[in-house]
Amino acid sequence: MNISYKRASAIFVKDYKEFSRNYALSIMLLFPILFAVLFKSAGASLPGAAGFLFNSSFVLLTCFAQACLIAEEKERNTLRTLMLTPATTMDVLMGKSSLVFVMSTVVLAISTLLFGYEPANIGVFVAAIVLSIVLYTAAGTICGLYSKTLLDASLSIIPVAFIFMGAPWGAVLAKDYPVFGVLDYMPSSQLVHLLNLSPAGYSAGEVWPPLLIIAAWTAVLTLVSVVLYQKRLRDE
Amino acid sequence: MAVIQVEQVRKTFGARDALTEVSFSIPKGEIFGFLGPSGAGKTTLIKILTAQLKPTGGVAKVFDQPAEAMQQSAQKMRFGILTDNSGLYERLSIEENLELYRKLYDLPRSAVEQVLQFVNLSSERKKKTNTLSKGMRQRVMLACAIIHEPELLFLDEPTSALDPVNSAHIYKGLRYLNEKGTTIFITTHDMAEAELLCNRVAILYQGRIQTIGSPRELKRQHRENLIRVELTSGEAYELPVDGDTADRIADWMKRGLIERVETKEPSLGDIFIKMTGSELL
Ligand SMILES: Nc1ncnc2c1ncn2[C@@H]1O[C@H](COP(=O)(O)OP(=O)(O)OP(=O)(O)O)[C@@H](O)[C@H]1O
Ligand SMILES: [Mg+2]
Repeated sequence: MNISYKRASAIFVKDYKEFSRNYALSIMLLFPILFAVLFKSAGASLPGAAGFLFNSSFVLLTCFAQACLIAEEKERNTLRTLMLTPATTMDVLMGKSSLVFVMSTVVLAISTLLFGYEPANIGVFVAAIVLSIVLYTAAGTICGLYSKTLLDASLSIIPVAFIFMGAPWGAVLAKDYPVFGVLDYMPSSQLVHLLNLSPAGYSAGEVWPPLLIIAAWTAVLTLVSVVLYQKRLRDE
Repeated sequence: MAVIQVEQVRKTFGARDALTEVSFSIPKGEIFGFLGPSGAGKTTLIKILTAQLKPTGGVAKVFDQPAEAMQQSAQKMRFGILTDNSGLYERLSIEENLELYRKLYDLPRSAVEQVLQFVNLSSERKKKTNTLSKGMRQRVMLACAIIHEPELLFLDEPTSALDPVNSAHIYKGLRYLNEKGTTIFITTHDMAEAELLCNRVAILYQGRIQTIGSPRELKRQHRENLIRVELTSGEAYELPVDGDTADRIADWMKRGLIERVETKEPSLGDIFIKMTGSELL
């Protein structure tokens, strides 16, 4: 598989310009920051606020932006045109994903600071967030590939939001309804466990299983998105 | 050396044949016109040659390699393409669109300026693409296709939205590219354009090539052997080319009665209609 740094960065710059001029989309950058400020003023003791802040940002920003970037190229036929230049499918995917990654990182860093969340272990926190951004970018790629237009892409985000953002809440029901125990294996639920580590002390057993589950999700979704991407962009 | 070689290529969509059996080859340096009525399969063949579609049967070779190889970045550097559904980035200016292509082809900065002149858009470079007229968009898309001065250029109806002045400007540019070594594969519905530009043309109809050759050859082949004579009196005759006619013309000429004599040559459009039995679309 061939990726060229030059070509991927050309796509990155192009997408950055398009994104920054697409106000309907770039306004999404403000949501995590807005949430952070709101939750902060509601009192940091608000249970589950940190988890909700991060999980909703991943869906509404990371996943949504990636889905829109891909769907719009499909809608306007530019993706097909791009595939006739030396740009490879991986150049395009890498260029877009890095833009979404950079935007998500910056916005989440700002909202973490504004919200005043202090992780128990900064290394674990960063690893979990980075893995999650990659994971939701992949989910966004898959949504974008199944959408023909920007509108489709916006709609396709709804099930993702429902499943991923709702999982941590649903998992609470597991006590009464064991079926819901499955939801605890969603990456969003596992992220909540990691965010709730006690600064006073935690065991390795509290860190590694959640991190590994998130990493497994990331690996699987990334693989699926790349394979689907290659497949769906071949002939008509 | 043949740049494009197509042997008995067939393409079916479902039960329908888009291309039944198409064979031809294009030597390096030629401007080749691919003509045919709407739906004849011209775009389909371009898609096969640029690895966007797989042929159902037969062999299509480009640069002496199977057309599938056109998917590789190294091969993509060698050709440029303007299709009837090429897309532009609407929120970017003309210049920014070209800048993307410049980087993708790894070209020096001067390439953008050069190609802007080529398509006569230097002064509009800052305009956002979503504000452009159809003809301007077409020229921007053409610029994207030729910015890297490719060895092989596919043009699918490149001038369908252009006014005569801009068409003429583009023809001049294409001839210049061609002189520098670019082989051009062009489809068009404009017979005058084909005649003006192409070294050879092929007419595609019902999935097959009905005739192929230089515009002059084709006209000679399809010439009805008649001479048309107009007299000063306004009378006009269409006469066979033989001794009798020679005597009659000599006689009229001696008496100073001749206004005009011409061989009756069909235009490319006449040949097209004869071959396809259809009107120009
Ligand atoms: N993806 C596809 N699926 C099904 N049929 C197709 C597909 N692409 C083309 N066709 C059919 O193949 C035939 C040839 O189409 P093509 O686009 O190659 O024609 P064309 O010669 O380029 O016409 P035009 O001059 O109007 O551009 C048409 O009948 C068209 O409907
Ligand atoms: Mg066509």
